[in-house]
Parts: sequence; C-alpha cells; structure tokens
Amino acid sequence: MKIVVAVKVVPDDQDIQVAANRELDYSKAHQIISTYDLNAIEAAAQLAAAHGATVTAVAVGSAAIDDSKLKKNILSRGVDDLVMVADDSCANLDAHATAAALAAKINEIDDVALVLCGDGSADNYAQQVDVQLACALGWPVVNAATNIEATDSTATVKRTLEDEVETVEVSLPAVISVTPDIAIPRIPGMKDILAAGKKPMNMAAAPEVPAETIEVIECLAPEAADRLGNVAEASAEGAIDNFVAALKAAL
Amino acid sequence: MKAFVLAEHTDAARGLCAAARTVADDVTLVAIGDVAVPESCADEVAKIALPEGNAVENAAETVCALADEEAPEVVFAEPTRRLKIVAGRLAAHLGASVITDVTALNDGVAESMYFGGLANRKMKAVGKAVYTMTCANYAEAPASGANAVKEVAWVEPANAVKVVSREPIVKSGIDLTKADVVVSAGRGFAEEEQLDIARALCDKLGAGLGCTRPLTEGVDWLPRETYIGVSGLTISPKVYIAAGVSGQMQHMVGCNTAGTIFAINTDKNAPIFKQCDYGIVGDLKTVLPAITEAL
Ligand SMILES: Cc1cc2nc3c(=O)[nH]c(=O)nc-3n(C[C@H](O)[C@H](O)[C@H](O)COP(=O)(O)OP(=O)(O)OC[C@H]3O[C@@H](n4cnc5c(N)ncnc54)[C@H](O)[C@@H]3O)c2cc1C
Ligand SMILES: Cc1cc2nc3c(=O)[nH]c(=O)nc-3n(C[C@H](O)[C@H](O)[C@H](O)COP(=O)(O)OP(=O)(O)OC[C@H]3O[C@@H](n4cnc5c(N)ncnc54)[C@H](O)[C@@H]3O)c2cc1C
Repeated sequence: MKIVVAVKVVPDDQDIQVAANRELDYSKAHQIISTYDLNAIEAAAQLAAAHGATVTAVAVGSAAIDDSKLKKNILSRGVDDLVMVADDSCANLDAHATAAALAAKINEIDDVALVLCGDGSADNYAQQVDVQLACALGWPVVNAATNIEATDSTATVKRTLEDEVETVEVSLPAVISVTPDIAIPRIPGMKDILAAGKKPMNMAAAPEVPAETIEVIECLAPEAADRLGNVAEASAEGAIDNFVAALKAAL
Repeated sequence: MKAFVLAEHTDAARGLCAAARTVADDVTLVAIGDVAVPESCADEVAKIALPEGNAVENAAETVCALADEEAPEVVFAEPTRRLKIVAGRLAAHLGASVITDVTALNDGVAESMYFGGLANRKMKAVGKAVYTMTCANYAEAPASGANAVKEVAWVEPANAVKVVSREPIVKSGIDLTKADVVVSAGRGFAEEEQLDIARALCDKLGAGLGCTRPLTEGVDWLPRETYIGVSGLTISPKVYIAAGVSGQMQHMVGCNTAGTIFAINTDKNAPIFKQCDYGIVGDLKTVLPAITEAL
C-alpha cells in the first residue's frame, strides 16, 4: 500500500518584503513547505507506519522549488521518496491546473490507496486542490479530517466541521485533506536529514497543464493603518502608568 | 444572467441570494437536505432531498446535473467545509476554479486575501465564476423572488461518502464580535493556568478573551470560536490588548481595524510593536497583573 502526500512549496512569508509600490517582493524569501502540509506529511508517515505502507511526497511548482535543502527537509519527515515537478510552466497554477498536474503524476504511481492534502496552503488557503484533485482522479474526497482509520479497502474519517463532528466512511483510493490537529509535525534530527539525502528524489517532467481559469489583476499589500507605535520597556519609569492611562482613555 | 446560490445556513442563504441579485436577474437557491429556506429570497428554490446516510457532498453530482440543465454563469457558495467540496466539484465540472473567501465583488472583479492578508488580490474568473464568501457585506441588502419550488431528481454519486455518525460541537456561546474590549492571548502564555492572569484583566475591563490560532489547535486551551485572524474571527473592538502575540499577518488581519491596539511582548523586535498604538516590552506574567492592579 502506498500513501501519497501532496506538498506545496511556498516562499517563506517571514521574508516576503513589501516594495514601495506595495507589490510583494519574493527575492529574499526561501522556499519552504507550506505550514499545514507539515501536519499532512506527519499524518501520512504515522498512517504508513501503522499499515506497513510507504509514503511518496508529490510537489508541483516553479523551477525555484528545486532546492536541495527543501527536498531533504521533505524527505527527513518519514517520507520514503519524492516526486517533484519544478518547471516554470507550473508556476502560480490555479487549483484546477494544480490538481491536473498532481493527478498526472499520481497516476504514474502504482498501488496508491490514499492521497493526503494539507488543510490549505499558506498563500491562498483556498482549500480547493484536494477537491479538484479527487475530481481529476475520479476518487472520493473528505476534508477537515482530524482522525483517519484505514483498512485495505476503506477509510473511516472523523471530520471536524463548523457545527458538528461527522464520522464518514469512503472506499479507497481516496483523497483526504487533514486539519493541523491530526498530527504534530516531528522535528527531524541530524540522522534523519543525512538519511534524507540518500532517498530517491525523482525530478519529473512537467505535465501538460490546462489553461488558467482565474486571471489575477493585481496583488498589492494593503495600505498600512497609522498606529502610534508608542512602545516602552516595562522597567522604564512610569511605563505601566502611562500604558494604563492610555488604556483608560481608549475605553 | 442566471446565478446559483449554495448555502447550509438560513442567514447565509438570504445574504448570498441578495449578493447574487446584484449581478443576476435570475437567482436559484440550491437547497441541499434540510436547510431552512428563507422567505421570498430567490426566483427558484431547487430542493435536493438527501437520501439517508448520504453526506451533503454526495449531492455534488445532482448539483452538476442541475447546472447542465439551467446553465448558471455565476455561483455563490457559503464557505463551509462541506460546501467548499460541493462548489469545488461543481467548478471542476465547469472547468473553473473556485475564487474563495471573497471580501469584495465589483463588476466581476473579486478581491480576496493573499498570504494571510500580506496582500489583497484582485481576480477575475476566465469562464464561469464560482465564489465562496460570507454574506457579511449583504446583511442589509434585500433578497427577493417568488421561491418557486423545484424538486430535483437525485443523481447517484460515483464516489459516495457514507455518514456513520454525527455529533454536535458544543459551543462556548462566546461572541467576540460584539465585545468592545478584547484581550488576546498568544503563545507567550507558556501554560494553560497562566491564562488566569488574562482572565483577571478581562474581569476588570469587562473584556472578552480571544487568542491566536495555535492556542486552539493541538492544545485546546481556548474554544476554536475565539481565535482571531484570517482563518478565524474578524473583529473591530474599541480596544484590543494583545499579550504574548507576535503579530503575524494571519492574526493581525483579524483585528487591525480595532480602535486602539495595545501590546505586551518580551521581544522588542516582535512585529506587533510596529502595528500597535501602545506597547510594553516585558514579561506578561508580571506586566498583566500590574496593569490589572493599576486599573
Ligand atoms: C506569486 C504567486 C502568484 C500567483 N498567482 C496566481 C494566479 O495568477 N492565479 C491563480 O489561480 N493562482 C495563482 N497563484 C497560485 C495560488 O496561490 C494557489 O497556488 C492555487 O490557487 C492553488 O490553491 P491553494 O494554494 O489555495 O491550495 P489549497 O487548495 O489551499 O491547498 C490544499 C492542499 O493541496 C496540496 N497542494 C496545493 N498545491 C500544491 C502543489 N503545487 N503541489 C503539491 N501539493 C499541492 C497541499 O497538500 C495543500 O495543503 C499564485 C501563487 C503565487 C505564489
Ligand atoms: C494558512 C494559515 C492560516 C492561519 N490563520 C491564522 C489565524 O486566523 N489566526 C492566527 O492567530 N494565526 C493564524 N495562523 C498562524 C500564524 O501564522 C501564526 O503562527 C500565529 O498567529 C502565531 O501565534 P502567536 O503570536 O500566539 O505565537 P508566536 O508567533 O509564537 O508568538 C509568541 C510571542 O510571545 C512572545 N512571548 C514569549 N514569552 C512571553 C512572555 N513571557 N511575555 C510576553 N511575551 C512573550 C514572543 O516574543 C512571541 O512574539 C495561520 C497560519 C497559516 C499558515
């Protein structure tokens, strides 16, 4: 049995600068694993360990995601091998196209029982790639999973919705997206990172991707609100009193 | 133009029908299962009865068949987890992508947040448009229509999701959107008991206690409905007091329209200090009790 985990690589938002024209400048940003995909990787690794399965991570993105530190990071988290498409034809894909590209690669892998996705990507958080991927593969999909129990042919999934917790059953293969609650990501040790360098990293050819379904007109940082920025050390004379006076005045 | 509205809750159904009415002259509310349909909100109410044991999402094929028949140009869906799947399946069927969590819609240009509010993105659907959005902007807008009922024939799903059981989530009943003063706790609180010093400050101020997302996830220190930010609450209290909160954009977009923002953090370089009106660099364990005492 094989578990695939879909991992999105994104620029680290801590290093994204806002340029004078309010456009985002990614030039200083490292490529990292989208935050909540760390939890999906951990969930995949734990499920695989429980079922004697193996884990393949699949990532699709621009040429910039072909970063050796990042690839080792993915492979140091209980993942057996990585399939990566790093091609500028796959930069900034919308959900429909991302799913088509992921499906093309997943269809080349044998014996896949389960594809796990994260709760939503750090950039868009659209929570749509899981659904579109299931459509492209012709498989069932469940989102918001907080617990997964799998047999050879079915998965029983606990999903935490807005107003209720629903337990559902689907036949495998299936696509399941998980919430961060499902598993706390491990912190890889030196040994894991060294071992990761020796694991298979398959740089795959870019599949044909469908045309854009969304046209982006602009993407600008909001005008910063004017705040006073009156900051004092707690130990400074009168700091607490001034703070409290301002607080009382604002009430 | 024809619009479809997908909603799980009555308020959202009414609000999204009003939103749909601003762009479409023909509005169909697609009511899956036992949604209570608001009065006179749409031209047509397409009722899809859910056969026993079926998850709401299993209606996606039926919705797609209805779309083939009625050819909507635009779809508005309430952003619930279930309807994100129905809307996503419908978008896939239409060869579209859902534009999610739309905050404003003008002349077919939809705005939504990017990287947790780091930027606002303006987008246009190339073909058919499928949006998810809350009805917050349309609370006052009128919905109208004869609500002509159409019973839609069930299409058996190819990949059924079977419901085994359902359990309601017991909510705290806390509504921070109504609070004038909110104290917000972040990961600077090292253990659950420490929240008591934030509660003491809340008591003194008559404030509500909110938090950052990590305090509701993995650890269950506070209820999920009290976290503030891009994936949680958006609030505009008169006063917002952030303690042990670093000030990441994903959090700040939920509170940056507050009247006055106060911050307490040990790290003088924490981003919150660039986004607050008054800040104290110090340990919340001593600073919060000192503030409570001095009030
Ligand atoms: C600078 C920039 C500009 C962009 N411009 C556009 C644009 O013009 N139009 C547009 O539609 N989109 C654009 N995007 C892309 C967009 O932000 C999303 O990547 C896309 O819409 C997919 O949805 P999502 O990221 O919200 O994924 P979600 O649906 O939130 O992701 C859910 C899960 O799917 C999986 N997943 C998602 N993407 C991948 C992937 N690539 N590889 C592997 N697994 C994945 C992960 O498990 C993830 O947790 C841009 C992105 C960037 C960085
Ligand atoms: C897609 C996505 C969506 C997200 N949505 C949300 C959201 O809606 N809401 C949200 O809140 N987050 C959200 N997040 C998470 C967000 O990015 C941040 O990780 C989170 O807001 C950080 O929480 P924090 O400030 O409590 O913790 P940290 O960033 O860890 O900050 C803790 C702060 O406490 C300070 N501190 C430590 N000890 C003390 C002390 N004794 N006294 C005073 N200060 C102290 C530290 O200096 C630090 O600045 C999202 C993330 C992603 C990827």
